[in-house]
Amino acid sequence: MYGARRTRAVLIVLLIVAVALITLDFRDGGSSRAHTVGARLFGPMERLAGDAASPFVGFYHAAAGDDSAEIAALQKQNDQLRAELAQNQVSKADQAQLGSLGKLAGQHGYKVVTASVIAVGGGYADTVTIDAGSRDGIAPDETVLNGDGLVGTVTATTGTTATVQLATDASATVGVRTTDTNQTGALTGTGQTMTAPQDMRVTLFSSTAVLQPGETLVTFGSVGGRPYVPGVPVGQVVSVTSQPGTLTQSALVQPFVDFTGLGVVGVVTSR
Amino acid sequence: MTAARKVIRALAVPIGLLFAVIVQLTIVNRAPLPGGGAPDLVLLVVAALAVTIGPMTGMLAGFAGGLALDVAPPGGHLTGEYALVFCLVGYGCGRIMAAVEDATGERPAVTALTVMALGAAAGEVGKAALGMMVSDPSVTGPAIKHVLPGAILYDLVLTPFVLWVVAAAVRRPAPERAPEPVFSQTQRLAGAMRAASVGAVPGLRLTGSTPPPVPLPVRSEPRLRLGATRSPALSRTIAASSLAPPPVAGGRAGRLNFTSAGRGNSLGGAASAVRVPQGLSGKSPGKGWLRAERPAGAAAPRFRSPGRGWLRAERPAGAAAPRFKSPGKGWLRPAKPMPVARRKSPGRGWLRPARPIRSNWYTRSPSGRWLRHRKKPWRGRKQRLMQLVGGRR
Repeated sequence: MYGARRTRAVLIVLLIVAVALITLDFRDGGSSRAHTVGARLFGPMERLAGDAASPFVGFYHAAAGDDSAEIAALQKQNDQLRAELAQNQVSKADQAQLGSLGKLAGQHGYKVVTASVIAVGGGYADTVTIDAGSRDGIAPDETVLNGDGLVGTVTATTGTTATVQLATDASATVGVRTTDTNQTGALTGTGQTMTAPQDMRVTLFSSTAVLQPGETLVTFGSVGGRPYVPGVPVGQVVSVTSQPGTLTQSALVQPFVDFTGLGVVGVVTSR
Repeated sequence: MTAARKVIRALAVPIGLLFAVIVQLTIVNRAPLPGGGAPDLVLLVVAALAVTIGPMTGMLAGFAGGLALDVAPPGGHLTGEYALVFCLVGYGCGRIMAAVEDATGERPAVTALTVMALGAAAGEVGKAALGMMVSDPSVTGPAIKHVLPGAILYDLVLTPFVLWVVAAAVRRPAPERAPEPVFSQTQRLAGAMRAASVGAVPGLRLTGSTPPPVPLPVRSEPRLRLGATRSPALSRTIAASSLAPPPVAGGRAGRLNFTSAGRGNSLGGAASAVRVPQGLSGKSPGKGWLRAERPAGAAAPRFRSPGRGWLRAERPAGAAAPRFKSPGKGWLRPAKPMPVARRKSPGRGWLRPARPIRSNWYTRSPSGRWLRHRKKPWRGRKQRLMQLVGGRR
């Protein structure tokens, strides 16, 4: 009886502590000091385990027809080329506009830091950890891309690791535009992509714009290239849906990046 | 040796939890599993620990493991969410299992598996529910519909394996002690047969009993023995069963001759308990008739008592702790911990009535006051505390 009472007392204390932690983190918007401490504690261990586990995960992808272990070096090269291409893909009109505004004045090229995914947040959040951090020049709000297209943005860094919020996370919003008609819109994730290849949803800003299936979407860009640099391909419009009661069109988008098999990614450091 | 083992045992739970967290983040979540969700290894380990050890360990492990998942780098949810859910799961699983054990006295493997599966499913549902409650943008209705069934299914599939591994890891190395023997009718019969067959028919013995190492000497001189002077080993085995005195243990069974008991009037009322060999029936008993002629330690039945645990599978009882690679029989139930030596009381008069040191044989028996104090230790203390604070009494 005494043991049961003590157990209950400890349980109540633990529950109160947990609720207090949730409240504190909620107040700080999900970025309290606890995450920093946890990243310092678990980051190195995850790096080790991620390196040890990469053959297994590589085996998975090899079984799925993707020999990622062998083409890792090629992928890094591809990332570099993709970043250059992304810059070149910005249309001339845009370049003139942006150049006149001086937004891209100092930017002659993107510098890409390559890194490997070492851990993945399970459940409902679409976040990954990569094995490069602030010592490699990575800072929060920097664009993460892949050989195929946009991956996400950096949300937090430690010395040796960084946390990346994928573009498919339900709380991520990416400004995009169509390559053909230059219509702009907002792309949000549906939060189901880490577990199965699913679609993202784009909503156009203009009520008169028309979306066609098959159109390609690229990032619109942000001020200073944060959190998204312009011109990175995102995905392709699969089906256009017009929801009743809304003025603007929205569509489902199939991303170019295979989010379930992320291996090597590149982080665009704006230096 | 034992100290090192204690350290290892104390570290087994945290290290196992840390291992589960790292494996979950770096391998399980990265594996592109079909069907939506991924299993939650940490949740399973917490439930298994709670089922195997108890609610206290379960909820502490749940809090620690959940907090680790919360703050480890790619965590996309608030700190404390999983700690809360896993803590509740650990407590619930351990509590249910303790209740089952209280009610039935055993911990069947099927019950443990069921409780653990229920706990895992409840944990997955709890994660989703708490995510919705704190308005996590990732936890939406469609996302839950997509992730939850697969996650629960994978958890259920992994439940037996995790339980097996955890039970093997936390199994206490101390040898199991035989429980207090409770003899059924057939076992009494078996005891009587053992007693009868030891020495009398050397080739015939019950399974599990050891053969007499030395053939018994043929006894030539007659002797008197009281029924109660059986070999101590036998009496220990049989007395617990309140068995009627068996035939003479060891040697030839003497015939009972109750008719002659009346003549030797010195035997008196103990006649029925005394076996008088036939050849001696006319003579008065010699001196030493009341006790065995040989010292009890060298008593005739020279078979070793089967020792504790003879009822169960043969295993060297006290010998070196069994090193199991895999959990053997009864793997689900960790052996009961050895009874802890009672802590010395901090001193007389400290929160308890001072009582004199009594040392002679008479006062060593527990006094009524001491017994009352054992039963209701807080009665006197409460009165003295009330006096101290100026209460009514």
